[in-house]
Amino acid sequence: MQNIVFGILTGSTLAVATVGFALVRQTEGFVNIAHGQYLALGAFLGLFFMESWGVSVFLAGFLAVVAVAVLGVVVARLVFDPVRERGALVLFFSSIGLAYALYGINQVVFDPAVRAYPVNFGKNIDLGSASITVGELVVIGIAAASVILLHVFLTRTTLGTWVRAVAANPELAEVRGVRVRLTSGVVWFIGAGLAALAGVLIGVLGTVHSEIGWANILMILAAAVVGGLGNIYGVIAAGLLLGLAMDLSTLVIPTEYRLTVAFAAIIITLLLRPEGLFTVARRKEEVA
Amino acid sequence: MPGWVLFVTGVLTLAGIYGALAMALNLEAGWAGLWDLGTAGLFAVGGYSFVILTAEIPEVSFAPELPMMAGVVAAGLITAVVAAMIGLPSLRLRGEYFMITTFAFAEVIRHLITNEGEITRGSSGISGLERPFDDLVSGRDYNFVLLGIVVVAVIAVYLVLRQTAKSPFGRALRALRDNEAAALALGKNVTRQRLKAFVLAGLIIGMIAPIYVWYIRSIFPHLYVSDITFVTWTALVVGGIGSLRGPLLGALILMSVTEATHFLQVDADKATLIASFHPIIIGVALIAILRFRPEGLLPARRDYPVARPTGLGGAEPPGPPRTLVPQGDAAGGGH
Repeated sequence: MQNIVFGILTGSTLAVATVGFALVRQTEGFVNIAHGQYLALGAFLGLFFMESWGVSVFLAGFLAVVAVAVLGVVVARLVFDPVRERGALVLFFSSIGLAYALYGINQVVFDPAVRAYPVNFGKNIDLGSASITVGELVVIGIAAASVILLHVFLTRTTLGTWVRAVAANPELAEVRGVRVRLTSGVVWFIGAGLAALAGVLIGVLGTVHSEIGWANILMILAAAVVGGLGNIYGVIAAGLLLGLAMDLSTLVIPTEYRLTVAFAAIIITLLLRPEGLFTVARRKEEVA
Repeated sequence: MPGWVLFVTGVLTLAGIYGALAMALNLEAGWAGLWDLGTAGLFAVGGYSFVILTAEIPEVSFAPELPMMAGVVAAGLITAVVAAMIGLPSLRLRGEYFMITTFAFAEVIRHLITNEGEITRGSSGISGLERPFDDLVSGRDYNFVLLGIVVVAVIAVYLVLRQTAKSPFGRALRALRDNEAAALALGKNVTRQRLKAFVLAGLIIGMIAPIYVWYIRSIFPHLYVSDITFVTWTALVVGGIGSLRGPLLGALILMSVTEATHFLQVDADKATLIASFHPIIIGVALIAILRFRPEGLLPARRDYPVARPTGLGGAEPPGPPRTLVPQGDAAGGGH
């Protein structure tokens, strides 16, 4: 069924976008609304590199990811670090301010018209009642590879262990000799980079437009809530599930309600198990 | 009439509307500690309730064409009911979960309005709406009538909120915000008080909404994107969370700065470029205020004795908290 293919495509890009968001949420301790604008910046920069430098989509995407990842680290030092002591709410509203500033700058710098990546998806592979192109398979492959690489990084390297240590208990991690500042830089690099990667993938599959950041942060929030805000493996599953749910929902309800499914998922998840989520939130607050 | 008079009138009108919204948000966020991100949704409910109940709309299945005043009251009541429906389940959640849920509700409301074209005419919206006292004055003079309406509304909202702030209900809200355990131990019904604040804010937002409709002269779903929520929040943060007059001052400053960019417009080419500066101004203002003056321009402690700083980063971690109720008494309970 073609909708399942669409759902897997939506879901895998959403999973990449959300996993970076969840990583930042877990180690830095706040919901970063600007994550959607990092995604938008990645999509625009990738297109810019392709069009003005004439490089291949892979190189353009790679450059965009690195550029946004570096920007993520710099912005964290300039905007978030000075207000870190004031708690998650100040950080949250600072990220809203940052999202607005980036959104405006994005519109000043790049052509805000709706455009598509000049890519060729290759030949169609027949799957019986559905079909998928080679290009779409590559997108799914990149999404899967990035998530697997993140898992290997978190479980098999010293830096990855540090990231998990800071996520679990920042004070204890610092006492045990984890270099918290370095770890925070690494988290921002990976988080912003993954956002940009998701932006390039979403741009390649669909179009690049000025509202791409806001539209996606809403879906990222939905996937993050369904998966459990800071739970990295939970949000990967939730991203895939939500992508499938949105694209399969078009079979039974009008297409216009595709996005509503994501918000309904937020509301239903939060209302069905508030105790569980509440205890997690409460514990974080007490630590902070 | 000179252009600058019209400009100032427009800025004051917008500042009044956003100021009233920010005051309602202040009731929730500043005093009750409810970080609501659903303002745009309730504002849409109020605006659409008013238009559907009062306007003469072709090709729509439900349009009772009530008188304007009845429409304003009904808009307030309907929005309050919707606020209660959102509040009842969401108020069980805390912190960022509450914010995300209210945000999601606002988006769902906007999607419903867009897609239920039967009574809302969907994304094309409804334009050329009638306004109160429309036939008394003509053309550009109407801007002054609208400003008059806004001033009356702002004063009314201000007086209601000032009374609320001083009332036992207002004190209970602030007590809940500062020390929930202590307030609970003193016999305050936490959820009930918070729901009351949430619904009262909804009522105010719903009754302000028709003024915005009159200002725009039309209504369509895209008016009610999350920008409304974030601009209101920025006005509140700039002015000073928890303060009585802060939200008004914040809205006035924010609107003066963002609307002033219209003066810079030279030609149509640059117009979109200039428009891009709105979000940059809002974003930078929010970041700068949070960094350098988190209690806002008019700190709350001038209005009434506060237990501790009420800015966004209110709770200062070091040192014992100076709470109104000694924590030992509240927690211990064994006399």
